[in-house]
Amino acid sequence: SGELYCSLPNPRNVHFESINMKNILHWSAPEGTGDGVLYKVKYAVYGVGKWIRKPECRNINRTWCDLSSETSDYEEQYYASVKAFLNGTCSDWMETTRFNPLTDTKIDPPMVSVSSTDRSISIILTAPEKWKRSPEEESMSLLQVYPGLQYNVSVFNKKTKKRWSFSISNNTLVVPWLEPGTAYCVSAQIHVTTPLLDSGFSKEHCITILKDK
Amino acid sequence: GACSVSMSMTEIRAGFTAIKANIQSRDPIRTLSILSHPCSLHKVKSSDRCCITHQLFTFYVDKVFKHCRTEDSFVNRKISSIANSFLSVRRKLEQCREKNKCVCGEESTEKFKQILANYEGLNVTSAAMKSLGELDILLDWMEKS
Amino acid sequence: GDSLLPAPQSISVLSTNMKHFLTWSPVIIQGATVRYSVEFQGEYEREYANGSWIPISECSLTTATVCNITEDISASVAYRLRVRAELGATRSQWGTTKGFFNRATTSLTPPLLRVVADGHHLLVELADMGPSFQFRVLYWRKGQESRVQQRMMKEVSSVVHLDTMEAGAEYCVKAQTHVQAINRSSSFSPTQCVRGQGDTSLWL
Repeated sequence: SGELYCSLPNPRNVHFESINMKNILHWSAPEGTGDGVLYKVKYAVYGVGKWIRKPECRNINRTWCDLSSETSDYEEQYYASVKAFLNGTCSDWMETTRFNPLTDTKIDPPMVSVSSTDRSISIILTAPEKWKRSPEEESMSLLQVYPGLQYNVSVFNKKTKKRWSFSISNNTLVVPWLEPGTAYCVSAQIHVTTPLLDSGFSKEHCITILKDK
Repeated sequence: GACSVSMSMTEIRAGFTAIKANIQSRDPIRTLSILSHPCSLHKVKSSDRCCITHQLFTFYVDKVFKHCRTEDSFVNRKISSIANSFLSVRRKLEQCREKNKCVCGEESTEKFKQILANYEGLNVTSAAMKSLGELDILLDWMEKS
Repeated sequence: GDSLLPAPQSISVLSTNMKHFLTWSPVIIQGATVRYSVEFQGEYEREYANGSWIPISECSLTTATVCNITEDISASVAYRLRVRAELGATRSQWGTTKGFFNRATTSLTPPLLRVVADGHHLLVELADMGPSFQFRVLYWRKGQESRVQQRMMKEVSSVVHLDTMEAGAEYCVKAQTHVQAINRSSSFSPTQCVRGQGDTSLWL
């Protein structure tokens, strides 16, 4: 492609940021370069003999590139690389470390729905879905990706200020015999033992147990 | 039947995670893999899992760890931890093999030959370091189901 | 030179709840500060790496006579450990543990357990003992000792909900630790009993 002598400083901190296996390549602009820098991106499946250019990230001025589609097979591992161009000169290709979607992704908290009947609360948890190319594509829960996935559930009694925790494998939990007229706040976290992955805790969902008639 | 080696795998995973970036940075070859190409561990039939697992643990114990000595004391200690855990797991796998009589099918024999060919295709230190850097490929496959 | 300084003696491993410490007697040289260095050797090093020894950097040139070897004794195989004294350029011979140490021989103590009744709910709090540990919790309604229920717990960073209690009934709880890596359990903690909230209008 007739690239000129590459004297431009290199893009910095080239790395993947991954949430629920939506895998975005990020980098920082070369040191000391103002506006006008353009980039191109390539990626490689580890162990396969060729680098592949990403056309949608050719001559872009932003400092990220969505490679979710190209890295969606989580039984493979990947490298990605970025090159900068400015005023007819260019930088070296700067690579990521080896990216393993299975262990290097972050997991969102589960969705939590809470309802109350009589003196109990029913909690239903839903694990996030793996990233998918389009809404039409069949969904895949992270539960299928991580068979050992568990939920840590926290139930906070707003009157006594006491917090109880539960560790469950299935996605429903009923907590009976609660105090009438008391508000309980529920939040939950996903826990995978191996590889060791924990989501943050979800936002709290509070519900008040009706007073006895 | 399933052989329970889960806790040791957690410890091996923790040890590897602690040195993964260091070890993988010593492997500059992106376009070759020992374990995953040309054919992937994930394509191994479940009936062959037991045999391939034992072969791979023996491969790591006999061929890989001894050539992975580094100048970094912390890395060397973690490699020792992993290597000794491999010995312990392999001993359990041997008990499994005797109990379950898990015979090596043609496919797993072919698969393991491919792995050895990949390994012998590089000089021994590069091959050993690459194999060690691919430990998560083995762990991911073992923990898959 | 390596001959004038005596090798450390009484070298042994103290191991409780999967925490392992190497200890030895001090080498006394009047008016001088003696330092020590520790190395370990696993079964792998003996059988496959020409009997090589691996230094523990945290215990290199230490003045202490104890070394935390927990991080390095991280497999269920036979280890050997050795320590030598150093004074300036002078080093003693290595003093080596007699026989081998396997973490499977660690002594396991019962867990610290606190049982709480909160309304109709039976709760337990267990002191964290590290990643190697699980907890086997047994509980039963007093008087129904034949209907003991069991829960295995791993994450114990908080008050854990065990079950819901029948109104006014007394429940008893005890727990033991289990270390999967060595497939051993501690003895049980003392049994603790609590009474659930009484509520005559209640029916289960």
